[in-house]
Amino acid sequence: MNKDFKLSDIPKHNIYQVPEGYFDRLPMRVMERTTATGNQHHSPVYTSLWQALRVAVAPFILLLVFVGAYFLSTPTQKAGNASIANLPDQEIVDYLTTYAQVEATDLAELSVADKDITSDFLNISPNVAESELEYYQLNEEPF
Amino acid sequence: MEDKELLEKFANPESRNLAFNQLVRKYQQKVYWHIRKMVIDHEDADDLTQEVFIKVWKNLENFRQDAQLYTWLYRIATNECLTFLSSKKRKFFLPINDVAAELAEKIDSSPDIAGDEIQLKLQKALLRLPDKQRLVFNMKYYDDLKYEEISEILGTSVGALKASYHHAVKKIEEFLKQD
Repeated sequence: MNKDFKLSDIPKHNIYQVPEGYFDRLPMRVMERTTATGNQHHSPVYTSLWQALRVAVAPFILLLVFVGAYFLSTPTQKAGNASIANLPDQEIVDYLTTYAQVEATDLAELSVADKDITSDFLNISPNVAESELEYYQLNEEPF
Repeated sequence: MEDKELLEKFANPESRNLAFNQLVRKYQQKVYWHIRKMVIDHEDADDLTQEVFIKVWKNLENFRQDAQLYTWLYRIATNECLTFLSSKKRKFFLPINDVAAELAEKIDSSPDIAGDEIQLKLQKALLRLPDKQRLVFNMKYYDDLKYEEISEILGTSVGALKASYHHAVKKIEEFLKQD
């Protein structure tokens, strides 16, 4: 090819072709698609109203979440208290003597408890107490 | 119909469809050919052209009238082209030259591309340019847009566009001198 070749030597020509009648049909095809998406098209007034409504509704929804969380958590505590109150005193004493570390004063203050059980702890003789202590091996690890 | 009148009619819900139809008829060829020269394949150009006008439909009410409508359309079409081409490269894990080779193959084999040898070679030379430089060349050489208009479309300075076009022409001429 000529070494002095310039781009301006080539005539501008569009080598690409389209199917016959393509540009006659294209607007209709586009309009069909806009009709399909047309329901999503909102006027500026609608858009601004919706934006304002979203800002107003957001704190209200947040408040509902907090209120809902409060009412969901509160009845659980009441139910817990109610279930303990319904337990027989004997059952509570049995539970505490088995699982809890109970001081002698706790039992002395428990006026409603079984007197026989509390007296076993309160009126224990020194000899019995000593034999009970010897029965259990004390932990030798320093505190 | 003038752009201003089209926009006014589009703003009115009663005449919106009619105005948009007229807008598509007015600009469809500019948009299509701008895209076609970038993606080469008619089916791809057809899909992208429709996508451009769907975006125009959705966003025309937000269009700022301090810009020209056709430069805004060009900008949307340009973005669609660049997104399409970059996704094509990512999708097939192909380096840029392989996508260019694929498009060059279409120039040789597509039944709806017809031209003499030098015209076909010119199109293949264009495919060797980076996408943005090819855009600049097409808008200046084929569409006769002013540098200021291209600057508005691409958001690039006029000086950079002039340099880009100058280098593009040099590269193309070098390619065409080969063989």
